[in-house]
Amino acid sequence: MMWKEKYRVGADLIDTQHQELFQRVSNFIQTVQSPQPWEAKLEQVKETMAFMQDYVIIHFSDEERFQEEIGYPELQRHKEIHAQFRAGIRRYADRVAKEGFTEELIQEFGGRLMAWLIMHVAAEDQKIGAFLRSQGGSHES
Amino acid sequence: MKAEYINAFYLATQDVFRLMLDLETTRLAMRVTEELVPFREANVVIGVTGDLAGSLLYSFPKNMALEMVRIMSGMEMTELDAFVTSAMGELANIISGNAMTRLFESNFRCDIVPPQILIGGGQSLSMATPQAIVLQLQTSIGAFEVSISLRTAKS
Repeated sequence: MMWKEKYRVGADLIDTQHQELFQRVSNFIQTVQSPQPWEAKLEQVKETMAFMQDYVIIHFSDEERFQEEIGYPELQRHKEIHAQFRAGIRRYADRVAKEGFTEELIQEFGGRLMAWLIMHVAAEDQKIGAFLRSQGGSHES
Repeated sequence: MKAEYINAFYLATQDVFRLMLDLETTRLAMRVTEELVPFREANVVIGVTGDLAGSLLYSFPKNMALEMVRIMSGMEMTELDAFVTSAMGELANIISGNAMTRLFESNFRCDIVPPQILIGGGQSLSMATPQAIVLQLQTSIGAFEVSISLRTAKS
């Protein structure tokens, strides 16, 4: 899963966190899809899932705080989109709690997470960048 | 079913393919069918409720679906496993959501229900309308279809 320059929003903190998210999700997918036996990669899968749940919350709250700072007009809508995503992750965490870390369930989670992250960063978050540029440039906090 | 709805789906597909896959889509022929049949290997069905109600069927050849997920993940994919089909389902979900936003701008309030994945061709699906419109689309990695069967539920 490749980070692309076109994803850059123009705010250092957000761009760094996005790159970290892409790297982590990419590593997660590589682990999930690697040809090793499922048991051999289970520990790494569990670790990454726990990290993703925490990191997504940190990133979303940092991003929302940044949007407040710059007076982003679509903050409420963006918060709703983040809330939907957090709920999506929670639903998978609940399913894992009930069904266990099965390969099929984790593959399903990985596929959705990847597609959602690309769309969110490539489309929704670009609107933050466009707003920032309309206000006179990049942000280096 | 009015042809005016169709453009929302074409524009949404074009938009999402460009943003997520860096692929351009070209519209080929549009045809009408009396059956909603998953005629390719990788299919996603999405239900629509609200002012317009019915089903959407996204139908991709296997190699194209694998290539789409390779573009997103940066990894070679060899089979339509849960990772690939889930990513395809989410992609179709995003396109449909984008189309719903466009329809909302034309005063149609609709929602979508979570995607259902169908591997391989098979039995025809139930339709909300006597006929479905099939949008045929071409990209540099293959051709695929979006079938639309929606009836107006709004009075």
